[in-house]
Amino acid sequence: MTEPVKKPKLTKKQKRRIKAAILHVVLIIASFGFVFPFLWMLFTALKTPAELLQGFQQFFPSDPQWGNFVKAVTSIPFFMYLKNSLIIVVLVVTGTLFSATTAAYAFAKLRWKGRDKWFLVMLATMMIPIQVILIPTYIMYSYLGWLSTRLPLIVPAFFGGGAAFYIFLLRQFFKGIPKELTESAIIDGANHLQIFFKIMLPLSKPALLTVALFTFMATWNDYFGPLIFLSNPDHWTLAIGLRSFQTQFGGRYDLMMAASILIMLPTLLLFFFAQKSFIEGITFTGIKG
Amino acid sequence: MKSENTSSIKKLKKQENIIGYLFASPWLLGITLLGAFPILASLYISFTTYDMISAPTFIGLKNYIILFTNDTIFWKSMWNTVYHVMISVPLGLVTGISLALLLNNKIKGMSVYRTMFYLPNVVSIVAMALLWMWLFQPNFGVINELLSPIYKLFNMEPLQWYQSASTSKITLILMGMWTAGGSMVIYLAQMQDIPVSLYESAEVDGANWIQKTIHITLPLMTPSIFFNFIMGIIGGFQVFTIAYIMTNGGPSRSTYYFAYYMFDKMMTDHSMGMASAMAWILLIIILIITTFALRLNKRVVYLGEES
Repeated sequence: MTEPVKKPKLTKKQKRRIKAAILHVVLIIASFGFVFPFLWMLFTALKTPAELLQGFQQFFPSDPQWGNFVKAVTSIPFFMYLKNSLIIVVLVVTGTLFSATTAAYAFAKLRWKGRDKWFLVMLATMMIPIQVILIPTYIMYSYLGWLSTRLPLIVPAFFGGGAAFYIFLLRQFFKGIPKELTESAIIDGANHLQIFFKIMLPLSKPALLTVALFTFMATWNDYFGPLIFLSNPDHWTLAIGLRSFQTQFGGRYDLMMAASILIMLPTLLLFFFAQKSFIEGITFTGIKG
Repeated sequence: MKSENTSSIKKLKKQENIIGYLFASPWLLGITLLGAFPILASLYISFTTYDMISAPTFIGLKNYIILFTNDTIFWKSMWNTVYHVMISVPLGLVTGISLALLLNNKIKGMSVYRTMFYLPNVVSIVAMALLWMWLFQPNFGVINELLSPIYKLFNMEPLQWYQSASTSKITLILMGMWTAGGSMVIYLAQMQDIPVSLYESAEVDGANWIQKTIHITLPLMTPSIFFNFIMGIIGGFQVFTIAYIMTNGGPSRSTYYFAYYMFDKMMTDHSMGMASAMAWILLIIILIITTFALRLNKRVVYLGEES
């Protein structure tokens, strides 16, 4: 009686195993396609110029040229670019956190005239191409004498520039914080500033981390903003500096890859350490947005 | 007593109104001074000639007329951009959805695969451009080396990728697929929100994987597909940096995109009026497409039980 029942069960299990095995093979091939460019980048960075031309015949660097990284760093004002990138990133992250949290609190927890209309305006700004605001702001900054400074990249962050996604994300997060908490605080005589600093912000650490991470990555990697607004080479960021590297060392892919790796390193490390809040943030904006 | 109560409630409401505006004020200031004002200003500038040295002169629709009727580069850049959008957006959707479907199986190591697929998205676009210039390098690049057996088999010359006008646009599009993991993460999250019971009852009815995908997974994923579609179009019409670094818009202007031409009008020629007209053309194109898509959205997209 039991045998004919058992047999198909076993084959079903086997079938599932075969399916899983095929799936893994496909996934391994696919992920190799995504990861291989990184590996090849690293191998290239460690090769000699002669080895560069041999392709797969010299798959691994025979004698890793760690000196390429030194050369990449010393042949451009690397540390000046690094300092500039850090100045801009730190201030933009600070500014974005300030403007996004205050606006999100207003949208999530306060009732004021026109709030819902402004919220729609905020969502609509996500669809507007930056080119439309670029020229007048460029002219404005030129009149203010800001084009020779870093201000055009920093000041907008304190006024919610490019922060629509983050405001939306934080607003949803704030809305999830129970009303009872804020209401009882009001009964105890707390004002909104106290509620904001002592209840909302401490309870929203994961969302704040996500916003900070996203802003860090976007600003660190930004090319277009610095290209337009940083006219003074002493203010150039790493992204712009890397491009000047390309014009200087056109064919030296070993050095270009070494420099590129150095620029990618902070964002890659950040991603690995904070992967969870990262992926959650993306799926959040994608699904609920 | 009662009137006192209502008046104090009114007072509280008034107070909250003021506090609301105060909290929103940094953003409100930003959206007016750095958002609404520039948009309107660029509309005005688009009706002028303005080189930032002498005052702007009002010339009506002349910039638009010149662009549309007497500027072959404008049309060339427009065509390049439309080509880019029309291929890269559908290809990106298919790649992202396929990756998500692959990962949407209960298998070990799913998050490891997900990480690997997502990784290219954290790379700076400059580093990405330099890397792919090396991979696609016609003589010493890995990609032509991988394809060399095929070249030999068909007795053909190796492709010149970004260095030839006939393949440059496609090369940049293919490169862009490296970041398809970004949309995949969104699809995947939505797929995993689909109730298992739906699949189970389909299995009872004898549905196979393809039928389940077509009749359950894909229809329930339409909100995120729509989101990525819109974002893909908006981003695609603004394609610039990758061409600026890899090809300088060439060869023979084959990757000279709309945003690139606008950049040159602004930063090289300082024709702020012309550049603003182009910016407004871009805005209107994006508005038309999104409105059209939103209309379609109402008919096609599954919005859940509540609506």
